[in-house]
Amino acid sequence: MSRLRRREALWFYLFASPWIIGFVVFLLGPMISSIYISLTDWDSFTPPKWVGLQNYTRLLTDDPVFWKALWNTFYYAAISVPLGLVIGLWLANLLNKQVRARKLFRTLIYLPTLVPLVATAMIFKMVLAPSGPLNDALGLFGLPGPSWLLEAVWVKPALILLSVWGAGGATVLLLAAMKGIPRELYEAAEVDGASPIRQFWSITVPQLTPIIFFNLIMGLIGAFQVFSQVYILTKGGPNNASQTMVPLLFDQAFSFYKMGYASAISWMLFLVILGFTLLAFRTARRWVFYETEVR
Amino acid sequence: MLEGHAMTMDTRLGRRGFLGMGLAAGVITLTACGSDNKSATASGDAEAADLVMTVWGGESDKTAYQKRIDLLTAKYPKLKITLQLIPNDGYAQKVQTMIAGGKGPDIMEVAESVNVYSSKNQIQPLDDLASKAGIDLEKRFGSIGKLYSYQDKVYAIPDRSGAMIVYYNKALFEAKGIKAPTADWTWDDTLSAFKELSIPGKQWGYGGSGWWPQWWSFVYQNGGKIIDDSGKPTVATDEVIEALQWAGDLIYKHGVVPTAKQYADMGADIGGDQAFANGKVAVNTTGFWAISGLTKSKIDWDIAPLWKGKQQAVSAFGSGLAVSRTAKNPAAALKAIDFLTSPDAQQQIIATGQDVPANLDVQKSDAFLKPSWMTKPVNMNVFGESSGFVYRAPFIPQWNEMQKAFDDGLADFWLGKQDARTALTAIQKQLESIVKPA
Amino acid sequence: MATALSAATPARERSTPKERVVGVFRATPFSYATLILVSAVLCVPLVFVVSIALSSDQTVNANTFTILPREFHWENFTRVFSTELPMQRFLLNSVIISAGAVLGQVLSSGLVGYAFARLRAPGKNALFIIVIATMMIPSQITMIPQFILFKDLGWVNTYLPLIVPNFFSNAFNVFLVRQFVSRLPSEIDEAAMVDGLGFFGIYRRIMLPMLAPVLIAIGIFTLTATWGDFMGPLIYLNDESKMPLALGVQYITSTSQALQAPPWNLVMVGSILLTLPMILVYYLGQRYLYEMDISGGSAGVK
Repeated sequence: MSRLRRREALWFYLFASPWIIGFVVFLLGPMISSIYISLTDWDSFTPPKWVGLQNYTRLLTDDPVFWKALWNTFYYAAISVPLGLVIGLWLANLLNKQVRARKLFRTLIYLPTLVPLVATAMIFKMVLAPSGPLNDALGLFGLPGPSWLLEAVWVKPALILLSVWGAGGATVLLLAAMKGIPRELYEAAEVDGASPIRQFWSITVPQLTPIIFFNLIMGLIGAFQVFSQVYILTKGGPNNASQTMVPLLFDQAFSFYKMGYASAISWMLFLVILGFTLLAFRTARRWVFYETEVR
Repeated sequence: MLEGHAMTMDTRLGRRGFLGMGLAAGVITLTACGSDNKSATASGDAEAADLVMTVWGGESDKTAYQKRIDLLTAKYPKLKITLQLIPNDGYAQKVQTMIAGGKGPDIMEVAESVNVYSSKNQIQPLDDLASKAGIDLEKRFGSIGKLYSYQDKVYAIPDRSGAMIVYYNKALFEAKGIKAPTADWTWDDTLSAFKELSIPGKQWGYGGSGWWPQWWSFVYQNGGKIIDDSGKPTVATDEVIEALQWAGDLIYKHGVVPTAKQYADMGADIGGDQAFANGKVAVNTTGFWAISGLTKSKIDWDIAPLWKGKQQAVSAFGSGLAVSRTAKNPAAALKAIDFLTSPDAQQQIIATGQDVPANLDVQKSDAFLKPSWMTKPVNMNVFGESSGFVYRAPFIPQWNEMQKAFDDGLADFWLGKQDARTALTAIQKQLESIVKPA
Repeated sequence: MATALSAATPARERSTPKERVVGVFRATPFSYATLILVSAVLCVPLVFVVSIALSSDQTVNANTFTILPREFHWENFTRVFSTELPMQRFLLNSVIISAGAVLGQVLSSGLVGYAFARLRAPGKNALFIIVIATMMIPSQITMIPQFILFKDLGWVNTYLPLIVPNFFSNAFNVFLVRQFVSRLPSEIDEAAMVDGLGFFGIYRRIMLPMLAPVLIAIGIFTLTATWGDFMGPLIYLNDESKMPLALGVQYITSTSQALQAPPWNLVMVGSILLTLPMILVYYLGQRYLYEMDISGGSAGVK
């Protein structure tokens, strides 16, 4: 390694040190102890009892609710993440135009993510009532609305609807990134006679791919860990039809006092998320466009 | 003196925690909670201590508790209590974290999940302390005196306790010429009254019984039990099935209770309490708390004791006060609880309109029967009358898991998609794996 | 059309006079229609919130709310302050905790993210995988071990567990800054390198100004997250005098019995009061987020 390279590496570790120190002090210890806890039977009060892999084997072979929750989580993530990405991009593109009162529009579209969830959940129960405003609206198009939160088939779409309502949150980063796209690119494209739609696909989207990729990864991790929305809106019901992984482990940890079992669930979830994230990173080489290759 | 010692302990641990960053941190965190858990056997002056007390609830609960603590401090100036009010959703988690961190509260409010703590040896048995202090639980609290016990030891002193009562819409009853409900009504009497009071799709005789205190009351009235005396779940017995089926039939067979769908259409989180307040249901079974809202309501109402089945039985709501295992001064903690459950302090519970005081003397006092804030004559005697009917609900250590099993297993039943026998047979199987007889 | 619209955007107008609205940025009536429709749909629930906030206790009791407000009990807004809870103190605590958290994240995240995007070092890729992996463990599961750690540090019942970790950045922000930096052309820092600026100089003089929007975004995210968080304060704080507003709203929502309904009107008032400052911050802050012309900067160096 050249002297310059060594100096660069030194600076890297110096610059990264806040995160490294924070990780070692605040996170590494708790993470390691949670691995240890997942191999024990621990009620969080009395000393943990070593049980080896028993929590994991029970989880995989003897807990139908775990598999149901895993499926629900997949379902939720598989629909809400792409939907959130597309809607976020679409809204950001709209908000990037020179509209009057765009500050107001941006704020209104971002607003749903700011409202406390207690309030949101209460409102959504009313909006999603069998004869509520949403079904009234569907009725205008001749569609019979279901009893969203009461039916096992419809409760997951209801949660996805809630996530779509907050899709405006993604516009913040997309907009900030859009503002950074050099205007010259659009001007040149316009001279070449490219239509706005063409420009969106061949300039805006490629320039945004690093941020879209960021939103994708964060969306994945967030969707797999969806918690409060489920916990407050449905409590996982009816009969676990909307139960997802984190509410499940939260119940085990803080309601049933099975810290070991809950930790085992969380590490299984970790593996699932890790798998999908690595997959996303692998495909990223093909579609994410970096000015400089990130090494 | 004791405090000072605890502090040096803490800083020493703190330094160790700092030095052992990283890999060691994980191990330390676990050993730390082990070493901290040593029981504080120290018991000093019972009238001088600095105690932490955790309770759940909202702002009105805080007022009521604080008033009682102020009275305590006025009487025992050296007995200081710091009240920690915790929002109810986070209570269990906060207390769990406090205990796991080695610094539990000295006095804690407990209810159905009391034996989560007692079975894990986190709260102290109070029999000896109570008898030493001269508290007669049966005399002071009647049949619920030993409600919060586990394996024949008492772990919490009752503090608030009101039976579930019947709220009925007087105007609707009078319009149909039905007399006020009494404790002697049978299931048949009740059903026929409900039928008369119902107008399909518009008005319902009864608010329903989907919550455990409601349908469990019917189970015990019918001679059934959720958990038998040996600690085994018995929910697939004929008595339980019959009682649950009766509750379900009220909705789907007789149409005298709104369906889940009809409720969802009335508003968010709407249940019997709200439907009763807006006059949509004629009868509702719930706790004391509905009174304060109803005093402002436009409808004309009163309260009555719950009807009976083969026998009288009714659930009670309430909470008790427990002394944690790590309490710095258990004798002082009990002294405080003794005072807080004495008539003087308990009067505040009703004076502030918070709840029904567990102390029987107060339940019979004028302060309770005619509270100053009550705007209309309400038959408050009902609580005293009902207290004799209260059955002992099975507050097993796996309470939360059991409730979850019921929630999940009865979801289809309450939607009218399954009969009681099928649902309960499945739940019984699940409960057998959850509840391990002690 | 174009001139009329650019007149409405003074920020643009002030830059170069020859500038005009590029085709794709031109707003058509269709864009207006879509925006109005989307905003309206998103706002239905919020109108609901206001409607409930203004209803009487009787309406709450009977749960007979309507989407559009029918009653206007403005006194609900003063009622939340007349409780025994020290709301003003809660507000101050929220400000202290959030300001500390924002400061910490903004200071640390840019530095770490830049390092991961631009500097080469052995072990960097492995470290980056760890960064991402830390987000995959649900925070609920490390909560108790973390609590024990902070207890050992003697930080329980202080603001420290809520503020200090922010000075060490977090995975989300590191990743975010890395993505932003990687979009910037590397010729910029190479040129600066030739000019003899050290790595810190490049970061300080070249990167930091260009990172302003993303750091502001991080600031807004951190602010809204800390402002609304009640779980952390619930676990770590014991004294009422130290609690933030989000926990205060939880107190309003809290009842002593499971099926007892909370005073929904006051809950909504609390939610509105909790949300308003954040709306204001976003409304005013977006100027710095979106209107800064960083594209010009990068073009200049080219």
